[in-house]
Amino acid sequence: MEKNVNYDPSFAQEVFENVDAGEEIKMCMNCGVCAGSCPLRFNMDYPPRQIFQMIRLGKREEVLNAKSIMLCTSCYTCKVRCPRSIPVIDVMHGLAHYAIKQGILTRRDTANFGREFWNQVYRLGRIDEKDLPRRVFFAAGFIEGIKSTLKYLDMGLKLLLHRRMKLLPERKIKGIQSLRKMLDKAEKMGKGGAAA
Amino acid sequence: MDKKTAVYICTGCGIGDALDIDPIKELATDDLSVPLCKDHPFLCGEEGVDLIKKDIEEEGVNTIIICGCSQRVNYDVFDFGPDKIVERVNFREQVAWSQAPKEEDTQMLAEDNLRMGCSKANDTELPEPYKAEEEYSKDILVVGGGLAGMTAALETAKAGYQAILVEKEDRLGGFLGKMKQRVTMPYKELTDTNAEDLIKSVTENPKIEVHISSTVEKIAGGPGLFSVDIKSNGNAVSERVGAVVQATGWVPYDANKLGHLGYGKFKDVVTNVEMEEMAAGGKIARPSDGSDVKNVLFIQCAGSRDPDHLPYCSSVCCLVSMKQATYVKEQNPESVNYILYKDVRTVGQSEDFYRKAQNDGNIFIRGAATNVGEAGGRLFVEADDELLGEKVKIEDLDMVVLAVGMVPATRPDEIPRIQAPPDTEGADEEGKIEVAADSGFFANTALNLEYRQGPELPTLKYGFPDSHFICFPYETRRTGIYTAGCVRRPMETAKVIDDATGAAMKAIQCTEATAIGMAVHPRAGDLSFPEFNMQRCTQCKRCTEECPFGAINEDKDGNPLPNPTRCRRCGVCMGACPERIISFKNYSVGMIGRMIKAINVPEEDEEKPRVIVLVCENDAYPAVDMAGIKRLKWSPYVRFIPMRCLGGLNLVWIADALSGGIDGILLFGCRHGDDYQCHFVKGSELAEIRLSKVSETLDRLALESSRVQFVEIGITDYDKIPKIIDEFMETIEEVGPNPYKGW
Ligand code: SF4
Ligand code: SF4
Ligand code: SF4
Ligand code: SF4
Repeated sequence: MEKNVNYDPSFAQEVFENVDAGEEIKMCMNCGVCAGSCPLRFNMDYPPRQIFQMIRLGKREEVLNAKSIMLCTSCYTCKVRCPRSIPVIDVMHGLAHYAIKQGILTRRDTANFGREFWNQVYRLGRIDEKDLPRRVFFAAGFIEGIKSTLKYLDMGLKLLLHRRMKLLPERKIKGIQSLRKMLDKAEKMGKGGAAA
Repeated sequence: MDKKTAVYICTGCGIGDALDIDPIKELATDDLSVPLCKDHPFLCGEEGVDLIKKDIEEEGVNTIIICGCSQRVNYDVFDFGPDKIVERVNFREQVAWSQAPKEEDTQMLAEDNLRMGCSKANDTELPEPYKAEEEYSKDILVVGGGLAGMTAALETAKAGYQAILVEKEDRLGGFLGKMKQRVTMPYKELTDTNAEDLIKSVTENPKIEVHISSTVEKIAGGPGLFSVDIKSNGNAVSERVGAVVQATGWVPYDANKLGHLGYGKFKDVVTNVEMEEMAAGGKIARPSDGSDVKNVLFIQCAGSRDPDHLPYCSSVCCLVSMKQATYVKEQNPESVNYILYKDVRTVGQSEDFYRKAQNDGNIFIRGAATNVGEAGGRLFVEADDELLGEKVKIEDLDMVVLAVGMVPATRPDEIPRIQAPPDTEGADEEGKIEVAADSGFFANTALNLEYRQGPELPTLKYGFPDSHFICFPYETRRTGIYTAGCVRRPMETAKVIDDATGAAMKAIQCTEATAIGMAVHPRAGDLSFPEFNMQRCTQCKRCTEECPFGAINEDKDGNPLPNPTRCRRCGVCMGACPERIISFKNYSVGMIGRMIKAINVPEEDEEKPRVIVLVCENDAYPAVDMAGIKRLKWSPYVRFIPMRCLGGLNLVWIADALSGGIDGILLFGCRHGDDYQCHFVKGSELAEIRLSKVSETLDRLALESSRVQFVEIGITDYDKIPKIIDEFMETIEEVGPNPYKGW
């Protein structure tokens, strides 16, 4: 391991300027509480604290290609526990959006899901529990779509049984226009743009 | 004083339920011939106290023995004025609350406690406070004119006392005067040092006499009576002062020893002190060519927390580097600072300044520097980045700042060597040996004390003057001399101010207490002092050597020359003296010896062993009380005898006790060693050393060495007491009864 990496602050600067909640990482003191708390830690290639340190170091490619930034499930544990009150999840999502905007799609399915989710909220103001998975499943092609549908058939039936899913398509919520206005405005306020 | 003694037995707090009071009263009046003995169900209540007061008035009682709660409580309630002797016999914590009620053994324990109490009261005389012939001074000498010294002088003056400030340099200010700015409460931004204003207020204060370019040539005498020779700009000045504050500060760790970090090799590698001076001078520029500075890397713990250099953390250099990083950013907002750290230690509220430094965009890298080099006229640093587990390189650096730690001004560069007596073990060819840090000959010159035990304050292993950093921070091993500021321990300016104020208050307190013959910490208010029966002194020098506070000098004939105002009343000298000629009016070798003899030792066939426990009053005795308060139980065969300090242990007690049929002796003293808790610093250690010599006595009596044991007890160890006692009782059972019983 005789490879020396050079500290280069330009990527950190890029993150501060372009990533939603990006400047928050300045305050990270690398205590590791977030990493220790994250339920997805074991699926992550780098724990959050390490992502933050890599940003400071200037490891642009590794950070934007990291699976970790797209794995966050928004459980909020890290945000609640961080002694420096850093909204770790916001930073992780911010980084994910930024990566996608740069054309980096480390986890295509996660990205697809996110996009469809957003589109549906924008369209209906709510989530259609049948339509969303259908779109996500079939985005990968017809055969893949059938396979995934069969895989989740059991769960779908149970959802129906417990009336968690309706057979008829969901309708738009009342006042969808106002919601869209809000979403548009939020998008403008963000640095990365929510609907990347 | 003609004693009229009375015994009062309190039957409250469960004592009456645990003991048969009538036989105890009979014991007092018949066997111990105390003329008056009464009991009361609530002695510390108004009625109970009135009962005693009435006897004082009507019967002329002047020696009051109270059998009830521990001596550690209700001492104010049972205070009947300075002309009365009060002796407390513990019937509550150590009898009623820790023993089975209405048992024969419990009864015997209480009776022995009373016997000891009566014996002690019999031997006690009212102390007459020491009064020197010369007039006492209440002025305070402050040595060192930095922030600590100036604050101590100002606080002294504010409290209405005269201060004499001695500074060796030609201006006041110390390191504060060399700083650009400081970081202090509320730790959000930089603050001005205001050094000039402070210096002005010191020099203009009518109650402060300032000597610059001056040194202390000699301090003789003791608290209240110090005579000080000051060499002031070549002239000699003599002053009399009551107490001294040593605030001689610190020096930076010698960066020349940090060649591996590039110091001395590259001009642009500087220490934090050099960086500060540069900043205070107006502009931070590269020392090599005077050009502008953009990228700076700070190496934290440069030499600190490293066993080969400065093993401890100075607790301020992290903050200092963040401050200096702020200077760099202020000078050039585009600049990038890297802080290479082991751990960031911004103590307490100063964490807020760490936040600020992060928010300013300074880059913190956790790891150790492995190489500092130069490429194309700029520096680079290679390091192991611990958080990434990678080797990293930071290039294009204009400067590297070494955050060096604080070394107390007292610490010598090299361990001094002195001429040892012939045949000393470990001496070199010239017969010289290294001076131990805890001797008065170790520290750098500052006070020049005319003390037999050396001219300076004994220090701890890193060269800081010895004090207890939690329990009695300002106290030193020399009474009436207090340390403040960074000479005491590394600290930032906000703490220095608190520290100097505290030390000044301690110094004032000392002058006031001394003037009325009272002891200072830890026996504050004690009026007794050791008296020497000189006719029998053999000039063995043990007392002069062992006194932890250097209170005893020697005259030219080698006779001990006590300085009562330097004395802390620990009784260590009393325990040291083989001739047993040192005693206090209310504490002596004979007194404890007779208390031991007062214990009733049953015949061997009764199978009731007797063990005495000599307990240090400061920590161990309260721990025993606490065990009683928690209703823990232990053997009824032990008898506790409180001592001012275990260092007062005289081996004759052990010999007497064992030859009198006592089966075993336990000593409860404070922890000693590096993390000592002994209130008299060396007392418990000396007791243990003395004890190591007890084997002779035991051999002479043909007794097992396990009959005498020393146990370190902290104030929090109360829960261990029953187990310690029980195990010792088992040992005693194993070795069998003392064959000297009944002789
Ligand atoms: S918990 Fe907060 S401060 Fe600690 S490593 Fe995670 S983000 Fe950083
Ligand atoms: S204060 Fe910081 S730099 Fe200084 S010794 Fe302690 S940890 Fe190291
Ligand atoms: S040993 Fe203790 S009692 Fe004796 S002179 Fe020294 S301080 Fe005083
Ligand atoms: S210890 Fe006792 S005998 Fe020895 S010098 Fe001191 S007073 Fe004299």
